Amino acid sequence: MSTNPSVFLKNYLKKGLLILTFVFFGVAQALAADPKEGETLFKANCSSCHAVGKKVTGPALKDVDKRHEEAWIIKWVHNSQAMVKAGDPVAVKLFNENNQSVMTAFPNLTEDNVKSILAYIKQEGDAIDKAAAAGPVGGAAAESKGTSTFTIFSLLGLVGVLLLVIWVLNRVIKTLEQIVANRKAEGLVEEEVEEEEKPSAFAVKLKKLALNKKVIALSLLTAIVVLSAWSVREMWFTGVTQNYQPVQPIKFSHKIHAGVNQINCQYCHSGAFKSKNASIPSANVCMNCHSQINEYKGEPIFDAEGEKIDGTAEIQKIYAALDYDPTTQKYGTNTRPIEWIRIHNLPDFAYFNHSQHVKVAEESIRAAKGLKAEDPVCYACHGEVAKMDEVYQYSPLTMKWCINCHRETDMKHLPKNHYYDNMVEVHDRIKRGEKVTVAQMGGLECSKCHY
Amino acid sequence: MLRNKIKGVVLVSLIGVVTLSSCSKVKRDPGLEYAPQMYRPIAYNPDQKNEAFADGKTAQKPVEGTIPQGFEVFHYPNTPEGYEAAGAELHSPLAKNEANFEEGKKLFLNMCSQCHGKTGMADGAVVAKAGFPAPPHYNSDALKNLPEGKMFFTITYGKGAMGSHASQLSKEERWKIIQYIQYLQKQ
Repeated sequence: MSTNPSVFLKNYLKKGLLILTFVFFGVAQALAADPKEGETLFKANCSSCHAVGKKVTGPALKDVDKRHEEAWIIKWVHNSQAMVKAGDPVAVKLFNENNQSVMTAFPNLTEDNVKSILAYIKQEGDAIDKAAAAGPVGGAAAESKGTSTFTIFSLLGLVGVLLLVIWVLNRVIKTLEQIVANRKAEGLVEEEVEEEEKPSAFAVKLKKLALNKKVIALSLLTAIVVLSAWSVREMWFTGVTQNYQPVQPIKFSHKIHAGVNQINCQYCHSGAFKSKNASIPSANVCMNCHSQINEYKGEPIFDAEGEKIDGTAEIQKIYAALDYDPTTQKYGTNTRPIEWIRIHNLPDFAYFNHSQHVKVAEESIRAAKGLKAEDPVCYACHGEVAKMDEVYQYSPLTMKWCINCHRETDMKHLPKNHYYDNMVEVHDRIKRGEKVTVAQMGGLECSKCHY
Repeated sequence: MLRNKIKGVVLVSLIGVVTLSSCSKVKRDPGLEYAPQMYRPIAYNPDQKNEAFADGKTAQKPVEGTIPQGFEVFHYPNTPEGYEAAGAELHSPLAKNEANFEEGKKLFLNMCSQCHGKTGMADGAVVAKAGFPAPPHYNSDALKNLPEGKMFFTITYGKGAMGSHASQLSKEERWKIIQYIQYLQKQ
């Protein structure tokens, strides 16, 4: 094919090496350890608990072939618990080092399967080593450094320009002072007196105007109108906290969680569907994901003032509150609550129940507010929370707002409910003049008296 | 004279407009409050600060050795032996009917699908976009024959990278979800 002798030689050398490998490890084995097959097997069976480069639930698997013998690994994968119970010292040590979490047994994986997985791990491990050898001069690092130096230089440039302006203005002032001094020296003092008289004439005019009764009346009237309009507005909106958007202790972005990562509202606010309160999740709910996700790598997030939020630093705040160490994956005792600031606050004399609205009336509310099928019913009152980096109070939560919705919402979507059948029946009997007892109207329900 | 009047009116209204619109668009303050004693509850809200307790929280854990009313203790310990025992002995107390299936499906989509995917194929957004380690498929060798007791154990205590969901899901809700997962196992 090729006439180039060096290429010819290279091909032969490669083939020779391959043959040598076959001789060393046996044909069948070399064919079996296929990193590609290993990759699929790894992703299907191992990746929920293991990563090559870092500790997840189980230890990092990089260089696992150097730490343990192949036969031992195969035995471990097939049934690790049996080895722990049999008292294999290495197995017991490994089990205890990893919080005694039991590795699922994979008796279905053949020896060749495990070898393929090991081949894949080796391939990935080598790739990590190569990347590490390439050093921190990575593209991303250089890029981020570039932007920061650009900012510094532009700021320095701005300072320079400002200094220049100050210098020029100083020069101008000096020149002007010199001119004045020169003129004084020449005896042109009369001019200065004249200059003073001119504004005094204007002041006289102004005084006259200020003493004019019509002007006084008009400005008083305007002041009264403006002030009363302002106070009516303030009084009208007293206690109405619409658009309230406090700075929260952790800059939690609903856009990232509910929008990008499509976590349902109910996952964290699990009370909304079954109780009066929607409930603010406790930190264990955060840790269901953030035990694994300890840095933010998505699109940049900004707060309401437009300042960039450091997502990774915000995740660290959960760890700080729980006294959690992400490297050892252990919780400490020095915990303190995250003091979220309440946004939606109904007065104590108004009763509101989330589950009544979200569960019982879901379809009616959806129809009344024209929500899309894929949107959560919560949008009806809370707005498109999945698009908010910082949450604000979307609805006024005034009594008028409640009443208006209750006036307009069509109840045709009401789920089948015997209460209303019974009510209509009792109603008809009263109309016909038949006897109706308190019990028939639900008067024997325990909670009517024992609430 | 008239010109001055106009000037005055313009000046006053300008000042008015400026003072009214000077507030920033971001509302960091809840605003004025009238008669707070009628608005704020006298009793403490569960998530409120409370000086009466040493740790400053209203939401206190039950006293050691007691359980809240209506709370059912899960008797299997969070150990490998407990996991095996739950798998062998524990069964759903709920009837496997259509109503429970539908509710289980809804709960599954809201509470589980962000990682496990809508059909149990581990393709939820938290796995695909946020980089959470992918759980095994429900129809994989390791899981397709998983007994329901083990599933209940896993939802209650968590397993591997998955955390405990006991605080978010009641026992009944967990069993309803399991009924739907059993349907997905066979897919």
